[in-house]
Amino acid sequence: MKTKINQILTSLLFLFGIVAFAQQTVTGTVSDESGNPLPGATVNILNSAIATTADFNGSYTISANQGDVLVASFVGFKNASIEVTSGAQDFVLSASTELDEVVVVGYGSTTKESLVHSVASIDGETIEKTQATSLTQALQGTVSGVTVLTSGGVPGSGQTIRIRGIGSINASASPLIVVDGVIFNGSINAIPQEQVESISVLKDASAAVYGSRGSNGVVIINTKKGARNSEGSFTFSTSFGTASEAVDMHPVLDADTYTKYYWEAMVNSYQYEDGETNADARTLASANIVDALGYNPYGTGVNSPISTDGTLVGSPLWDTDWHGALVNTSAIRRNNTMSYSGGSDKSNYFISLNYLHEEGQVKTTWFDRLSLRSNFETNINDELSWGLNTAYSNTVNNTPTQSGSGYANVIQWINTVPSIYPIYRRSENGDYVLDNGGNKIFDYGNSLGNVNASRTILTGENTVGSYEYYKFMNNSYSLNANTYMSYVFNDNLNFKSTLSYGRSTGSAFSYVHYLYGYASTVDGRVSQDRDITTTLTTQQQLNYNKSFDKHNIDANLIYENYALKFDSMGAQGIGFLPNVEVLNGSTKPESVSGAISEERLESYIARLSYNYNETYFLEGSFRRDGSSRFAEDVRWGDFFSAGGSWILSNESFIKDIALIDFLKLRASYGEVGNNRGIGYFPYMQLFVTGWNNIDNTGVLSGSVADPMLSWEKTSITNVGLDFGIGNRISGALEYYSKESIDLIYDKPLAISTGNESITTNVGSIKNSGIEISLDANIIKSDDLNFDFGFNLSTNKNEITELTQEEFISGTKKWMVGKSLYDWFIREWAGVDPEDGYGMWYKDTLDADGNITGRETTKDYSEATRYYIDDKSSLPKYTGGITAKLNYKNFDFSTLLYFSLGSYQYDSQYASLMSGMERNDQGHPDLVNRWQQPGDVTDVPLLLNTSNDFNATSTRFLYKNDWGRVKSLSLGYTFDDEVNNRLKTQSIRVFLQGDNLFTLTSKDGIDPEQTISGLTGSRSYQLKTISLGLNIKI
Amino acid sequence: MNIKNYLLVLIAASLSFTSCSDDFLSDPSPTSSVNSAVVFSSKAGVEAFISGIHRRARAQYDNTHGGGLYSMYMARSVKANDVIQDLTWFLWDYDHTYRAPTYGRTKFNWEFPYYMINQANIGIKGLNESDLSQADKDELMSQFLGLRGFYYFQLALEYNHHPSYNDKAAAPPIYTEPATDSKAMSTITELFTQIKSDLNTASQLASETRINKTYLNKHVIEGFKARVHLYLREYAEAEASAAAARDGFSMNAAQYEGQDDMSADEVIWAMAQTSDQTNYYYIAPHAFTDHSQDAYYGTFFNDDFVNLFSATDVRNTFYAAYTLNPALYYRWVSSKWNFAFTSDMILMRAPEMLLIEAEAKARQGKADAATLLFELQSNRDADALASGNTAQDLIDEIMVERRKELYCEIGVEWFDAKRLRTGMPRTGNHRVTLSSDPIVADDKRFILCIPQAEIDANDLIDDSINSDRI
Repeated sequence: MKTKINQILTSLLFLFGIVAFAQQTVTGTVSDESGNPLPGATVNILNSAIATTADFNGSYTISANQGDVLVASFVGFKNASIEVTSGAQDFVLSASTELDEVVVVGYGSTTKESLVHSVASIDGETIEKTQATSLTQALQGTVSGVTVLTSGGVPGSGQTIRIRGIGSINASASPLIVVDGVIFNGSINAIPQEQVESISVLKDASAAVYGSRGSNGVVIINTKKGARNSEGSFTFSTSFGTASEAVDMHPVLDADTYTKYYWEAMVNSYQYEDGETNADARTLASANIVDALGYNPYGTGVNSPISTDGTLVGSPLWDTDWHGALVNTSAIRRNNTMSYSGGSDKSNYFISLNYLHEEGQVKTTWFDRLSLRSNFETNINDELSWGLNTAYSNTVNNTPTQSGSGYANVIQWINTVPSIYPIYRRSENGDYVLDNGGNKIFDYGNSLGNVNASRTILTGENTVGSYEYYKFMNNSYSLNANTYMSYVFNDNLNFKSTLSYGRSTGSAFSYVHYLYGYASTVDGRVSQDRDITTTLTTQQQLNYNKSFDKHNIDANLIYENYALKFDSMGAQGIGFLPNVEVLNGSTKPESVSGAISEERLESYIARLSYNYNETYFLEGSFRRDGSSRFAEDVRWGDFFSAGGSWILSNESFIKDIALIDFLKLRASYGEVGNNRGIGYFPYMQLFVTGWNNIDNTGVLSGSVADPMLSWEKTSITNVGLDFGIGNRISGALEYYSKESIDLIYDKPLAISTGNESITTNVGSIKNSGIEISLDANIIKSDDLNFDFGFNLSTNKNEITELTQEEFISGTKKWMVGKSLYDWFIREWAGVDPEDGYGMWYKDTLDADGNITGRETTKDYSEATRYYIDDKSSLPKYTGGITAKLNYKNFDFSTLLYFSLGSYQYDSQYASLMSGMERNDQGHPDLVNRWQQPGDVTDVPLLLNTSNDFNATSTRFLYKNDWGRVKSLSLGYTFDDEVNNRLKTQSIRVFLQGDNLFTLTSKDGIDPEQTISGLTGSRSYQLKTISLGLNIKI
Repeated sequence: MNIKNYLLVLIAASLSFTSCSDDFLSDPSPTSSVNSAVVFSSKAGVEAFISGIHRRARAQYDNTHGGGLYSMYMARSVKANDVIQDLTWFLWDYDHTYRAPTYGRTKFNWEFPYYMINQANIGIKGLNESDLSQADKDELMSQFLGLRGFYYFQLALEYNHHPSYNDKAAAPPIYTEPATDSKAMSTITELFTQIKSDLNTASQLASETRINKTYLNKHVIEGFKARVHLYLREYAEAEASAAAARDGFSMNAAQYEGQDDMSADEVIWAMAQTSDQTNYYYIAPHAFTDHSQDAYYGTFFNDDFVNLFSATDVRNTFYAAYTLNPALYYRWVSSKWNFAFTSDMILMRAPEMLLIEAEAKARQGKADAATLLFELQSNRDADALASGNTAQDLIDEIMVERRKELYCEIGVEWFDAKRLRTGMPRTGNHRVTLSSDPIVADDKRFILCIPQAEIDANDLIDDSINSDRI
């Protein structure tokens, strides 16, 4: 605590002190190269907070000292600077190019021209063109080298983001997120895209300024600010859309087909497994099918609805469409934002309020967000300025289970429960069973009775009932306040002190019904969790810059402290009366829990940039971090980067080539660290509390630990070429190589030691690849403008060191030289035409155990696992295509993301192809099943006996090439005439489509699943069509 | 203020940070864990550790059929002839298809006992190094040793045939202290030497007292010994241990049906549950055998087995819930166990010990074996008549009595088939009859393969270990 107070005091110390200098009034004009005045241009004193704006005639007035440097700037023009020598100073600005664009980097910003690193950025306009409920979705397809995966269709859910491959195994492989200069620990969905100015992605060793946490790249988000000297303007934007599944789910069987197939599976089992004759098998199947299914939708009660020749007695009384009952085909999305921003010559402000309501694929799934942001900056005097950014957000969502293997998972339910099982209870003859009030009763498949009472799959559950009866609410609110003061010593030196405080509270509530479902035996259950995360960050930053002759120097010294506290509490109780859904109504407590975890980080950072004549650039940075996650002796880590660039186009030998506007070569190297995703005290072996035995306190020895565990380091090399051709085309070509050293790795131990693994620094992974990005301005005229963009990335993931020869990790095997994500599974050898059984390959061995060849086997456990032709779950190529077209008042833009060359294992399809092994739903592809000797097919016979036909093998491994039109927007901006009449600045109406088209190489499953290529019965992403309006007053 | 002053402040500020930076980084410490000094400095601390071990043994380890000790017992129960498992958890144990190196059963039955053995080893080491009084040390040590011997015995049962099949057979590695370096396979003879040594020392150090029936005391450890000696056909020792184990425990026929409470008279060792310490639907056998409560409805009983019981036997807990058709596998269900989230899981009852004692006497040719058997029979069935059997007939009768008393508890048929090296043919109305490939004496399906995960991480064991197991 003492430390915290110290930090605050120190920050405040710098906030006081006012120094006055003698001043004079300077006046002049700002104009372009043709002599036209530039009204609205800003003139400020270099390295001070003093600024003014040019009037309608381009004239300005400012108070400045002799010797001050005045800088004039205007959107679309290069800055110009003049040292004050007299009371009249005129500026002539030349048109700027893309290279003057400001790029936000760690602890500061630079121009695109002077970058020595690989930093990609996307601007606010691009961000607004996709509907990114979770902001990082906007990175998909817009930035090369960044993989963004949205797993599932829960609105507001986070993404899996990987920058340039996967560089960590057991520690976190996600990039660090920084918002307005401060590490962000909250939920990314709390930041509305309308409040974001830019997103930068540090892809290479430029992340070294984030030292211990930068090895997986850094995503820097900056929120909007008001402009100085601008009249306050009010913006209102609204959109309303409806959504449905972006990709159709797998089709399933109807009741008639299901019943016939099930009967056939029983016949086959009796005939081929039990050795009955075909005639006896048919008789037995018909006699026993009702018992086996438990239900009879044909109204014949316990009597068989299917004859010994496989004919059904009639049509079913019910043929449940679970998809229709559970999926929302017109999910609503509403988004409204109000903002007000502007500034005087001394202050600027931005205030914004956003409300979003979005529904998901599964009925009753919704997400609500209310977000308020206020960014304010002011000059207290000539030297001292103060800023305060405050954000408050509240998100609430209801999310019924829609991934994983829990019984209540709606998606699994649709793919598992056949249509012969009813939503509501039915009597033996098929009539509805009604309660005392005459209402239908949800069928949980666990009643007693001969038929239509009890099912063997997902017994005790009914998801239609559960989404009506259960509640799964999450409510989180967060406050982030970030205040800074900066003091300008002189033209060359300034100091900035920042204090940032974040507090977010996540609260989860669930109610499971007292009468129906899995808590009915305990009369209902209520669970509540409340977690409070508090972060406090302080930064002291000293900046120095100096230019003499053609030498330019820029230096930063930064000291940073970071403290996080996570305080969790939970309670659970059972035994509730009807309609009582709060813990007060619980008759028995089931559990209480609570813990506090803390983490600290202390950092010293230095960075030096130098350039000669803005042609030769050099930059070096160093960071020393101490982390509480490691033991005292090994907690300090040193990280650095060094880079340089050479603007070839400034050299005379290129300058003369008219076609080449710009050419820059750059290279950098650095070593960055990682300490995330490994728990708070991974180096301690401790006794863990909470294992109480009835009335006795209980502790257990926790897993074995390496006391010397320390930083995971990644060395990153980046070489790039930036170019501009013929004033039309610009782009970049980059090569990178990242090698993780001393991975934080769970080294497997023999499980006979009682330990599964020990977390230690060992092993190494390399990621390398090429990135290309191109932007072309194809048509440029007064009325018509057409821009086209393209980016493409490759990544090769390779294990370069392991502690053991090989290690099987689920469906992958890790070996030096292979990728973390190369499939290693059994290879399907098709169906034996003689008996219809499935086959796999196995190695044949000679007497010494050497592999001599391979043969097929029908015994799955005998089959050999293979690397499958280097098929990997990682794509070979990913990229994006953008197009922007403006014609008069119309604007059109689109973004397509694509991913090629990965392989995905569709376990949902595998389950649907289980061929009536158990009472699970089936896929229409079963029509191709083997039926009699001689049938040549890839689908085995239907068999109502345990078998391995759909066990994990290449049978369900698919190439996952896909592309998705992520956004498509068509807008119309009204003429000035309308604005004049309505007293508005601008009005734009637009039609927007998100995920409108998805092209896949495999139907029935959303192509975005997981990095590891495994599906998990996740809900589907939505395609949304919205109509919107944006008014600026 | 001039620039110099600012620089001074800056330097002062940096110093103030540096001076407190050690505290800043060292301040955070774990809040929900304690170190070994706390655990081994008092009897209460070590008891907390033992409590934690017992709780872990009944927790949710992998999944419902790899949950804890109770699920190992349940898997054994469904392997033989008297019990029929539906298409739910434990179905592959019932099918005998769940034993390949990569399968869940294979890994769980290895990993779980070794987890417990490592915890016991940490306890033994910590206790040896502690300053507790000798009396406390002895009492606590007996519990760690008892647990270690018990879990090594489980490994010997799951991964090896009876020692008489091959007394040099490769058996699970032996660790007697905490380790991260792996060890090679032992032999079954070495393994049983370790088991007997642990249990004998535990028995010498053990006391009568304990916190409750979930903990080990003299009776429980003698019960372990009785099972081990019976398995090894050491009948004199089995008889003595069984008698010592059940000494002081009476029989109570009224408590046979609807078992769910460790306070029942016959219970020697159990796992207790309360509403705030429950495994929910993991509880086996209860969540599977009890068809009157909402759970899995997963376990049925063989028509041939049900026919062994007289109508007046309290152990005849069978009724037809779904069908009267004797050919259907789901004809008979049982009310032997009550399922609730608070149901206790019973691990050892006095009648098992009585039957071990009776069998051991019978196999030694002692005259009072039949009397002892009838003591149980007459308690269970008021109308029971003594059979008058002697010699092998009496032994056979005891073997049947074991099944009738202990069904769905400790995997009695599987245990008996292993120790006597007989088969387990299926009769009656089974769902999976195994008719074309019945389990015969010394069948490979009596043992599990060594898990691939162990082979992959253990330099001293390679794939060839499974060549005669697959």
